[in-house]
Amino acid sequence: MLDPFFIWLESTSFSVWMRESPSLFAFPLILAAHTIGLGLLAGVDVAHDLRILGAAPKIPIEFDRYLRIMWFGLAVNAASGVALLIGYPTKALTNPVFYLKLGLIAVALVLVNVIRRRQQSYAPRLLAAISLLCWAGAIVAGRLLAYTYTRLDATS
Amino acid sequence: MGPFQYWFEQTVSQVTPVRLFMQTSWGWPATESAHFIGLTLLFGSIAVWDLRLLGLGRGVPISAFHRLVPFAVAGFAINVVTGSMFVMAEANQYVYNRAFQFKLLFLALAGLNVLTFYVTMFRRVATSGAGAAPPLLARLNGALSLAFWMAVIICGRLITFYRPTRCRPGETIAFVADCIIR
Repeated sequence: MLDPFFIWLESTSFSVWMRESPSLFAFPLILAAHTIGLGLLAGVDVAHDLRILGAAPKIPIEFDRYLRIMWFGLAVNAASGVALLIGYPTKALTNPVFYLKLGLIAVALVLVNVIRRRQQSYAPRLLAAISLLCWAGAIVAGRLLAYTYTRLDATS
Repeated sequence: MGPFQYWFEQTVSQVTPVRLFMQTSWGWPATESAHFIGLTLLFGSIAVWDLRLLGLGRGVPISAFHRLVPFAVAGFAINVVTGSMFVMAEANQYVYNRAFQFKLLFLALAGLNVLTFYVTMFRRVATSGAGAAPPLLARLNGALSLAFWMAVIICGRLITFYRPTRCRPGETIAFVADCIIR
C-alpha cells in the first residue's frame, strides 16, 4: 500500500547516500550517534527513575538540569533516527516491531512529564518502574529490528 | 601481537556452551539487547556524574551523586559478561578487528581515568559541599571520562563495519596471511 512512497523515498539522494556511501561519516557514525543519544536519553531518565525509586536520596528529586541533558539526547536521536529511517524506510515501516519501539518510547516520554508533575507531592514509584520497563522494552525492540524485518527495501 | 591473537582466538573458542547458546536463534539478539541495556545504565549514570564534576547542578553536593555509581558498575558488569559472550562465540570477528582493538584501548583509558580519580582526588572532591566548584583536575577527569566512554560506544558500533572478511579458521594459509601478519 505504501510501496509508491517507499520507492520514491528510497530514490532520494539522501536515502541513497545513507545506504551506499562508503564514508564512515554516513551510516556508521549516524548509527553511533543514535547509540550515544540512547545512552543520554534513556540513561539519564533511568537515573531519574532510580532516584524516584529511592536510590541516591540526597539528589533533589527535580533533577531538572539533568533532564535538559535527556532532552538533548532525544534531539540527537530524533534527528539520527529520521536519517536512519530515510535510509531504510521499507525495512522499518513494514516491521511491526518498529511501531512497538516507537510506542514504548512515546509512553516513556509521556511518563517523564507525568512523573515530574507528581514527584512534588509523593514518589510515583509505580510510574518510575513502568518507565524503566518501557526503556528496556524499547532497547530490546530496537535491537530486534536487525533480526525481524521481512523486507529490506521496496524492491524486495 | 599476531601469535597472541591467534592463541587467544583458539583458546576462547573452546568455551563451547557459550558458543552453542549464541548460535541459537535467540542467543545473539538477547545478548545484544542486554549489552545495550547495560550501556544505558553505565553511560547514563556516568554522564550525570561527569557533568556534575564539570559543574552542572552545582547546588547539589557531589557526594549525593556518588550513590549513582553502583548502577554504573552494574551496567559495566552486564557489559563485560555479555561482551565476553560475543567474543567467545565469534572470536575471529573481534580479535583482528580494528574497531574492536580501538574499543579496548578506549576502555583501558576510561579505566585509567576512573583509577586516577579514586587515587588522587576522590576524598577531596567527595567531601566538598554544595556550591563548591570542582577543582580543575576533577573537571578535566569528568571531560575525559565523557570523551572516552563516547569513543567506546562509537568504536563498538563500528565493529560491524570492520569485520575481517577472510579470517576463516578453516583456510589456514589465507587466515595467517590476512589476519595475523598484516
